Amino acid sequence: MKEPIQKPGTNPSSLSLQDSLSANLQTNEQFFQSVYHNCADVVYRHFSIAGKMKALLIYIEGMSNIEEMDKSVLSPLMQQTPAELENLHAIMEQSITVSSIKENKTFAEVAEQISTGNPVILVDQYSIAISVGLSKWEKRAIEEPLSESVVRGSREGFTETIAVNTSLLRRRIKSPQLKMISMNIGRQTQTKVIVAYMDGLADTTLVEEAKSRLQRIQIDGILESGYIEEFIEDHPYSPFPQILNTERPDVAAANLLEGRIVILVDGTPFVIIVPTSLYSLLQASEDYYQRFMIGTLIRWLRYGFLVMALLLPSGYVAVLTYHQEMVPTTLLLSFAKSRELIPFPALVEALIMEITFEALREAGIRLPKQVGSAVSIVGALVIGQAAVSAGLVSAPMVMVVAITGIASFTIPRYNAAIAIRMLRFPIMLLAGTLGLLGIMLGLIAIIVHLSTVRSFGLPYLSPMGPMRASEMKDVMFRAPWWALRKRPRLTGDYNQNRQPPGQKPDPSKGTE
Amino acid sequence: MIEKGKISAFQLALMMNPTIFATALLLVPAITAKHAEQDLWLSPIWAAISGLLTVYISCKLNKFYPEKSLIQYSEQILGKIAGKILGLIFLLYFLHLNGIIVREYGEFVVGTFLNTTPMNVVMGSMLLVCALAVYGGIEAIGRSSQIIVPVVSLLFLVMTLLLVKDLDPKKLLPVMENGIMPSFMGSIVPSAWFSEFILMAFVLPLLKDSGKAMKWGVLSVLSVMFLLVITNLSTYMLLGKLTIKDTYPVMVAVRYISIADFLEHLEAIVMAIWVSGTFIKISMFYYSTVLGMAQWLSLSDYRPIVLPIGFLILVLGHWAAPNLQSLAHFLGTSGAFYMLTLQLGIPVVLLCIAWIQQKFQQKKDGGQ
Repeated sequence: MKEPIQKPGTNPSSLSLQDSLSANLQTNEQFFQSVYHNCADVVYRHFSIAGKMKALLIYIEGMSNIEEMDKSVLSPLMQQTPAELENLHAIMEQSITVSSIKENKTFAEVAEQISTGNPVILVDQYSIAISVGLSKWEKRAIEEPLSESVVRGSREGFTETIAVNTSLLRRRIKSPQLKMISMNIGRQTQTKVIVAYMDGLADTTLVEEAKSRLQRIQIDGILESGYIEEFIEDHPYSPFPQILNTERPDVAAANLLEGRIVILVDGTPFVIIVPTSLYSLLQASEDYYQRFMIGTLIRWLRYGFLVMALLLPSGYVAVLTYHQEMVPTTLLLSFAKSRELIPFPALVEALIMEITFEALREAGIRLPKQVGSAVSIVGALVIGQAAVSAGLVSAPMVMVVAITGIASFTIPRYNAAIAIRMLRFPIMLLAGTLGLLGIMLGLIAIIVHLSTVRSFGLPYLSPMGPMRASEMKDVMFRAPWWALRKRPRLTGDYNQNRQPPGQKPDPSKGTE
Repeated sequence: MIEKGKISAFQLALMMNPTIFATALLLVPAITAKHAEQDLWLSPIWAAISGLLTVYISCKLNKFYPEKSLIQYSEQILGKIAGKILGLIFLLYFLHLNGIIVREYGEFVVGTFLNTTPMNVVMGSMLLVCALAVYGGIEAIGRSSQIIVPVVSLLFLVMTLLLVKDLDPKKLLPVMENGIMPSFMGSIVPSAWFSEFILMAFVLPLLKDSGKAMKWGVLSVLSVMFLLVITNLSTYMLLGKLTIKDTYPVMVAVRYISIADFLEHLEAIVMAIWVSGTFIKISMFYYSTVLGMAQWLSLSDYRPIVLPIGFLILVLGHWAAPNLQSLAHFLGTSGAFYMLTLQLGIPVVLLCIAWIQQKFQQKKDGGQ
């Protein structure tokens, strides 16, 4: 590993990454060879500018555009006539035909450029290195987002490449008010993280808070925005997600326009959005794309099924165990008939079925697609006819589990649905021990918990608690666009008006 | 300040509404009907006067001592020693009263729904949930009441609407058969309930917009009055003189609801109203006691004493009365005067002394 031959000048082994580049090309080369020791994919190419000046090109294979490098950097430099050799600066300005070049002074800067895929040129007698913006690697094309599909709306989804993602945002919001602050997080991965916000719409203290929370993160690597989410959320022990994630650029853009902050992370198509309230986790982008009446109805359907996803199995258990008098007689008789041969109490029956259902769902997500159909066939048998005819569970219980499952699929955000799925089980236990009273107590405890949660200073239940009457029209209804005049108030005061009033369409307004 | 959270006057009004109404809903019709008979619907109107008076007193006292609660300014008004003693009396009283409320809740749940569940489990589970709310602070209680109260009020109105076809307005005649006195007598117990608005004296220093406190306090009293009048009217129009016989006439009334052979046995709705309303009521008393105790002991944080005080409330609830009958008897007779003395009488005296002190102070300042 140690190079025994040492040229006069600085000893490369005594150098550190923070030092400035040496004017001696060999020292520099030795240093980089020791930094990228055992890195077979780093390429060193010696050449000379105009046959006189010794130079070295360093790049990583597969991360740079080689053809472009040959055409616009190497050949012009090597074909330079000796007469034109004045100083490096002029050469670079005149002969490199690449739009982005940068001068680097320290080893650390150079190493960063090499790692991001930009080829670096070192020239003898000069203590600067020129990096050329020719990084290029294989990336996934922009595809339809799989986790949030819509009938009407944009079909573009974010990709793993952060530059593509920022361009998707910029293409939707063309205003220069859209600001993007970049930082690198992760000691080893050096993952690029971008904080995007609308200047003048987002609260400046909120932006500062987000930045300082991100800067506090110390971790070796960020591989997904979920890493960051767990570092910056307000209540780490709450089952409810306090940060929204999306892979739809239109959702991110809509949130930017409401004054929220979007955090993009390199390497994942999921961007995270702060601050978030419970209600924005229950809204889908399509609510705003279809006409407002169906948007409103779908929202209420969702609220109703949210309650069902949380309470239906426990309600069934409580009623059958403690409050049989509440069921109309004919229905009670058919319940009794179907439960006659079942060996378990209602609570055990419900727990068995719900846990089986959760297991089936998990198996369905993880399995390769080819095996998936087998799971659904087995699943239909396990929590279906076979289980009933085997006398293990009653037919109404199968119905309850099925409706609960459908109900939890109506929640548009996967992470919000997880919270509801988790809370369903303790409430079932409460229902089995204290009946409806237990359900009420569990529900009140959840409401109290939700009242204490904040997401980046925004109360989680706003605009309902604390109540803001003017914003209720985007929670209780989906008001038509011409009535959504004001942006929601998040944490501070800022530009509130979205659009001028009086835009309700009316034929008499026109000239026809 | 021990409590850093701030609430709005509107939230305060929403918190105070179930604080009075939740327990009154079930117990007041029977107690009022005993004296007022068919004039029972007038009694809440007279009783609301004591509520308005309490709101006025607590707002006035808050004007004199804007940053301070009842416990803190009684020390300033009466002097160190007498003030501390009065503070202790108030705290013990609120502990006792909260015990009674928890017991009322327990008796109702065990008596009508969970006949074999031990009372202490029922009371203890509720106190645990309330402790969670008190831990969360005044903001948590305020926000959860903004979620709970509208739902509860809606359920109550739906329930009343479903009863309409069984109501017989003739049962209310003749109005004021024996003059105004019976309805007045019937209003004494509800007045005691209304005087629970003195809890505002603990919460007023925590308001963001204390200027609106009086307005929202009055609106809160009026809303409780309105709801109680509706309750009394509908139960009496349905049950007539039978209202007196039952401890929980509203429960009996709800059993009458039967629409299309499907909407039957809606007792669960009453329980939902009662449990969630009582949750806010107990939390309010619990919170005020804990905050007052922390102020009385000059603690820097109230959270460490939340659970110990909750346990005390549970024990006091257990000891409050040997059974439901004696509890109802206590509430219908001497309890009213006990509550009125501490919740209305002593604050009036405090306000008078504070007012006189203020006058003297002004004269002194003017003389100098």
